[in-house]
Amino acid sequence: MHQAEPVPFNPEAVTFVRCTIDLADWTARLETVRCRTVEDVLGGIGRSLQLLAGRTITDAYCPENPLIVNTGLLTGTAVMTGLRTYFSGYSPLKHSDLGLPAAMWAAGSDKFGARLKWAGIDDVVFEHRSATPVCVVFSQGEHGPAVAFEPAGHLLGLDTHRKIMALHRDHPDGHFAVIGPGGEHYDSVYMGAVALSTENQLKSGEDKCRFAGRGGMGSLMGYKNLIGLVATGADRMPAITPAMREVNRDLVKPKAGGSTRYQPVRQGGGGGTWANLEVMQAFCAAPENNFRPTGHAEVERMFRSNVERDLEIRSEACYRCGIRCHNNVFARDPDGGKAFIAKFDYEPLNLLGSNLGIHDGRQTALLVKLADNLGLDAISVAVTVAYVLDYNQRHPDRPLFNGASFGQYDGIRELIVMTGEGRLPGIGRGVKRLSRGLGETGYAMHVKGLELPAFLPETNPGYLFAIAGGHMSMQTQMLLAKEGKTTLGQWTEVITRLGLLQVGFDAIGLCKFTGIWINSEVIARAVGAATGLEIGAEALEQAVRRIYLRGLALEWRQGYTDAEYTLPAQVFENPNPAIRLPAFVTLDFVRALKQRVWEAFGPELEALALPCPPKEPAC
Amino acid sequence: MRITVKLFASFRTGRFQEKVLDVRGGARAGEVVAELGLPAPGIVLVNERHAGLDDVLREGDAVQLFPPVGGG
Repeated sequence: MHQAEPVPFNPEAVTFVRCTIDLADWTARLETVRCRTVEDVLGGIGRSLQLLAGRTITDAYCPENPLIVNTGLLTGTAVMTGLRTYFSGYSPLKHSDLGLPAAMWAAGSDKFGARLKWAGIDDVVFEHRSATPVCVVFSQGEHGPAVAFEPAGHLLGLDTHRKIMALHRDHPDGHFAVIGPGGEHYDSVYMGAVALSTENQLKSGEDKCRFAGRGGMGSLMGYKNLIGLVATGADRMPAITPAMREVNRDLVKPKAGGSTRYQPVRQGGGGGTWANLEVMQAFCAAPENNFRPTGHAEVERMFRSNVERDLEIRSEACYRCGIRCHNNVFARDPDGGKAFIAKFDYEPLNLLGSNLGIHDGRQTALLVKLADNLGLDAISVAVTVAYVLDYNQRHPDRPLFNGASFGQYDGIRELIVMTGEGRLPGIGRGVKRLSRGLGETGYAMHVKGLELPAFLPETNPGYLFAIAGGHMSMQTQMLLAKEGKTTLGQWTEVITRLGLLQVGFDAIGLCKFTGIWINSEVIARAVGAATGLEIGAEALEQAVRRIYLRGLALEWRQGYTDAEYTLPAQVFENPNPAIRLPAFVTLDFVRALKQRVWEAFGPELEALALPCPPKEPAC
Repeated sequence: MRITVKLFASFRTGRFQEKVLDVRGGARAGEVVAELGLPAPGIVLVNERHAGLDDVLREGDAVQLFPPVGGG
């Protein structure tokens, strides 16, 4: 007997619909595109990075820099967390030392992407820029997808929530993606986020957007005078089959490495990403005062159990997602009512809290709300403000801006307001530009021009190899705390095998909180249950590796040198003795790690005809 | 033998922060987890070093147990 050879998946049997919009003349062209590769089939950045690689862009704010808005293969399907929308382009924020913009993307959840897909559109490519503010409306027409253009001048100046609610009044069956004041002031704000409407927001009227924050995709929208996107029409969520039910069970059950840990505590979970704070603080590794933990216990005031004494916390989920990972924070009114303030995830609650020297739940929630309303990436604005506070502490005789210092809520709030309103380009253009301009780069917390998430660089050399945000495109940020790994071999293995697979989420349409990309077999079953395509776990992993490597090679094409693959100098020059984790990240370690990682990728890069890694200059 | 167990984050809910426990000689870390009715921990430290559930404990050990964590 012979076992039949598995039939290789043929991507050319699959097509997708691309809508190319010329904002210069408000025209739209729809085309059906045949896939050439598995990554084309997966969608999201699997397609957008290939398109970006075909453009030569030296300035993010040029008409030729496209903004690509697309979905993944599983967006809008019954697979749990299949709610992702991606925004890709050359970033105004992330840039090489040569000044060239890096290819970037940001992702956000809830129903906008699903509505776009249900309208019959997989990818939208926005070319050029509009002369006047515009909203683009996608709908389910009688004979297929329909596109309309609406003047949007009346939306200017509104915050993200008000823009969405204004569009909701005009399009009651719509979902929305908008920029805030930050994106409108794109010339002085390079960290503008895109706000996505949520079902909860539209029904409750509460300010509960989701955000595609990283890399300034909202600023790119602002440059294009694209104030909002609308996707209207009826829900077309497919029925849940028994196979799909099984897949969704695997996505949340612990034995699959699923997402139970993000569930509320009373459901046996860890209580969302907020729980990270207590874990990192146990190692004195929760960022404080610009990523410089003090060893004091003040951070504990931001533990959930302490914040709950003053504020109401509710765990909520995205539309039709069973993972209630959001911790929404409400103020208790004297009359017994509750007023929504903000959503607490680990990144914003730490970076707009303890990392600014603020250890008060209410004040932190108000800063999170402020950044969200202004449409600023919470991570980038918070890290850049932390740098300013650090600088002011080091230079009390010549402080920056309003002279704000760590813990000074009013001064910090003023900095964020002024940034969002375009009045502080020093902050709005990010910490790399600010620190280089001041000549003090050692404590500027970025890697390759993108501000760090709330995990200390001392604990994560994987940051060097993240291509679109330190914790969103390389899954190594908690490796040291979780597993105690400190050797070159261990880090090389994780970076080149499992860590990079995280970018697969940003192709296929699933949220990273499913947390099981490492289990490609479950993803393959999800694809089969949702689409009938039998891609296979191995082919999926190979495609994700190619996506990652294309993204890495795009960095080199945009001028990144070997020297830019490093961590803030403070890590090497002034180690923090308060951190209770092994101090293994030295310059020699980083140098050796790069060599090993580049060697591991070499043959694959060659096979893909992609450029080789930058070389360390000879002494 | 006596060991000290310290719990973190959601593991403390309805349990304790730190407690000295009597366990049988040669007990493994996983037995302590089961005894306390905890779900599988994300991080196990014994005497401040990363350990596994199969690691054998000794008299006087300090065991720290953390819930699974991730994301950002």
